[in-house]
Amino acid sequence: MERDYIISWKAAGISLGLLLILATALVKPLGVSTQFVVSDAVVAHKVAPKYAESNTYLSKYGEKQDWGIGYGWVLVLGMFVGGGITSALLRKRQPEQDKGSMPPMWQERFGDSMTRRYVAAFGGGVLLLFGARLAGGCTSGHMIAGVPQLAISSFIFAVTAFGAAILMAKFLYRSGPEA
Amino acid sequence: MSTLIIGFFIGCAFGAILYLGGATSYRRILGTLRLKDMWIIKLMGTAIGVGTLGVYLLDLGGLANMSIKPAYVWGVAIGGIVFGIGWAISGFCPGTCVVGASEGKKDAMFTLLGGLVGALLFSMAYPYIEKGLIQNANFGSITLESVLGVSGIYLAMAMSAGLLGLIFFVLKDRYE
Repeated sequence: MERDYIISWKAAGISLGLLLILATALVKPLGVSTQFVVSDAVVAHKVAPKYAESNTYLSKYGEKQDWGIGYGWVLVLGMFVGGGITSALLRKRQPEQDKGSMPPMWQERFGDSMTRRYVAAFGGGVLLLFGARLAGGCTSGHMIAGVPQLAISSFIFAVTAFGAAILMAKFLYRSGPEA
Repeated sequence: MSTLIIGFFIGCAFGAILYLGGATSYRRILGTLRLKDMWIIKLMGTAIGVGTLGVYLLDLGGLANMSIKPAYVWGVAIGGIVFGIGWAISGFCPGTCVVGASEGKKDAMFTLLGGLVGALLFSMAYPYIEKGLIQNANFGSITLESVLGVSGIYLAMAMSAGLLGLIFFVLKDRYE
């Protein structure tokens, strides 16, 4: 069988665990979802400064002095750069079915419409960040970084997020295809 | 300033690992959520298993910069459910949509845009839900260590061993 991965889950999992330890030792644990609010706050402070100042949530981020851009924000910027460089260098090694904007599994279940895929991706993104901000973290902040700190909130998040995602995935693919 | 440089390089490594490990792959994410291809749960479980022991070893030496998120039960649980639904629909999470966008996946770019909108909607909703979902039933920054009154390193050793054992020796790679 043709190799259908670039590096194994073992290699990726161990490196990710070590990276978390490094980040926790040097600055603080990993996290991503807060930076969506920081980015929003930066724009909001420019476009609608009055609203941004009066909103109790936005005003906590994107302070006028530094616009809230710090360690966390450059980390997410780094993710984009690191992912971009690696994918440019190793594109040939990436399994064919993982390339492009139309996943074959989705296509088989929901058809060829790119619009449908993009609408779902967008709507899913809205729910993702609304949920992550309500919960105070996402897969990185709560699961990868929060559970290793044995935080009770992160255990609650891991169980509810995985539970809901599994039920939703089972529902979406109730009539196949094989994964 | 140096914190920013460190953050940038940690981010680069994070993005590279997610790409190389297939975490931006819809096939892998949905495979795991459909409980068929266990790749992503094994990747995450391994990271958590290694990370838990490492973080508490650091803590033992007083070197861990912990950041414990507060346990406001309703907000975290409802947020987790909303997040999970979005995860299954998009096939991305907030970190992997950034990396997916960086490799040129247009669906990931739409998830990223949706995420910015979702975070803005949450900011707008915040004043109305703060009292009921975040201040209510908020137990603060509690951990398994503080709740059980057992030293964290023992719990971490037990959890790492249990989790890694489960992932390496019990869970299969695939279920039909």
